[in-house]
Amino acid sequence: MTGPILSLRCVSKSFPQGGLFDRLLGRDSRLVALDDVSLDVMRGDVVGIVGESGSGKSTLAGLAVGLARPTSGEVLFDGQSMAELMRDHAGPWRRRVQMVFQDSSSALNPRKSVARCLGETLALRGVPAGQRQNEIADLLTRVGLGPEIGPRLPHELSGGQRQRVGLARALAMKPEVLIADEPVSALDVSLQAQVINLLSRLTRELGLTLLFISHDLALVRTLCSRIVVMRKGTIVEQGPCLDVLDRPQHPYTQAFIAAVPKGLAGRRTPLPVRADAVAPETREDIHGAA
Amino acid sequence: MSRALLSVEGLRVGFRSAGGGVVEAVRGVDFSVAAGEAVGIVGESGSGKSLSMLAAMRLLGTPARVTGGRVLFDGEDLLAADEKRMRALRGRDIAMVFQDPQSSLNPALTIGRQITDVVREHRGVSSAEARRIAAEALERVGIRDAGRRLASYPHEFSGGMRQRALIAMAIACRPRLLIADEPTTALDVTVQAQIVDLIAELRRELGLTIVFISHNLQLVAEIVDRVVVMYGGKVVEDGPVEAIERAPRHPYTILLKACVPSLFGPVGPLTAIEGAPPRLGRLPAGCPFSPRCPHVIEPCTSEMPALIAEAGHRTACWRPR
Repeated sequence: MTGPILSLRCVSKSFPQGGLFDRLLGRDSRLVALDDVSLDVMRGDVVGIVGESGSGKSTLAGLAVGLARPTSGEVLFDGQSMAELMRDHAGPWRRRVQMVFQDSSSALNPRKSVARCLGETLALRGVPAGQRQNEIADLLTRVGLGPEIGPRLPHELSGGQRQRVGLARALAMKPEVLIADEPVSALDVSLQAQVINLLSRLTRELGLTLLFISHDLALVRTLCSRIVVMRKGTIVEQGPCLDVLDRPQHPYTQAFIAAVPKGLAGRRTPLPVRADAVAPETREDIHGAA
Repeated sequence: MSRALLSVEGLRVGFRSAGGGVVEAVRGVDFSVAAGEAVGIVGESGSGKSLSMLAAMRLLGTPARVTGGRVLFDGEDLLAADEKRMRALRGRDIAMVFQDPQSSLNPALTIGRQITDVVREHRGVSSAEARRIAAEALERVGIRDAGRRLASYPHEFSGGMRQRALIAMAIACRPRLLIADEPTTALDVTVQAQIVDLIAELRRELGLTIVFISHNLQLVAEIVDRVVVMYGGKVVEDGPVEAIERAPRHPYTILLKACVPSLFGPVGPLTAIEGAPPRLGRLPAGCPFSPRCPHVIEPCTSEMPALIAEAGHRTACWRPR
């Protein structure tokens, strides 16, 4: 039996709050972004981390990918201490966990073509120059883009295409774990489904472990097998996705689900009575009554 | 239904392009809002939904300008009104609430000052009376201890409270029409639900006529009576909320509903709409949705279908469902 690929043990993270002036005066206060969080992610899990702003979900992502260190507690990647691994900044472990960001336009260098961006990533993985063109074409195909995208600059792409390029860049490293921080929330509704379906297919095909960070419960329900509900730096509820969403136990999860817009089913004002919805005979009845 | 309070007729908005030509972003938009009605305008970015209302309120920035059409408010053409008249109407008869409550408030002035300024400008009351009205408006939008909160600055309020303060400012002059442009998009889901409840409650209590602009059909359907769906600068469908929710007729509306996952029912791959929304200046000939539409036929790619009404439900499609 293998252990979890990613493990957070009693992890807390806080940031200094207030300006330099406050700190000089010794008015030191800290914002606790994560408060004693423990979480195990098994290989091949597709985990949705949901919460509202300030819940700590993005802080958790940053710790899991090794972009930040916890204030206390321990992050383990495949059984090894992240603190130890991070001593070697560009160590081979970096390749094994990759990230996709929310804002695809700021996550890509505006002056580099798609092919160059992917080529540089492949070079980092040690792919010989002669093989890169082929790999770039494969990566683009994998994320549903054609080879004509290669020479383009990020601003020449639509938001959905840019997000696919961000995904291709992450995949170029052949990661085992992919962390996607609100990858579709900047996209138009009609494009979100494309990217969600793509993520779903890729995690299946490549056996990826995915941490999908989102505030959208319905998207998590579609994509993920497990869900972790966060609030104010703590995990309030976690479990199999459908169990938690269909039978939430924690009052916050219940409130969160209740707040999601539900169309006519969530109607807050009575539906208008429409003249053409009333059958003619009924109209006569009303006249007769009056 | 009573007569239209707001009527947008053949509205066109264009941007002057670098080449000297004009790029049209709103291309002949028609819809009306009856007094007391709540209408949702739904569309993705670039659909022209916000731009149409900004143009109607004469709030367009320099590169954009109205290139045609009329906007009648209670029978008066707003596009022909002078600036003085518009200043009198905006804030008093027509109030607007925008997406980002942070940038709609002046960070250097107290909430109270910002509301009383509007009240004094439009209602010509004493400053004491304006403060009383402001406190009452804040109270009404659910801010506790409203009298004391007048002295707060915007940064002392949370995002949800700031949006409440802006709604208080909007209703303080008892407008007849409230235009809310993505009023909850910058807010958390639980706060969004509170703001939507508040708008629904104010509508009931004050008899407001509402135009609610959003990209979220599910959200809009919770409070409006009628939905106008826009795509590529055109109205593609317009009907009672039940019809749009239960029996949409335009392929875009049908797919838009299908590509949003639900919190209930079976889980499976989402229905995706292929391609991307059209970019400004690169609109296809014919129906703007034709390049992405699975039901496209010959006239779709050459000729824009007219909005055809059938029992109060308008659809612009050569092959409505």
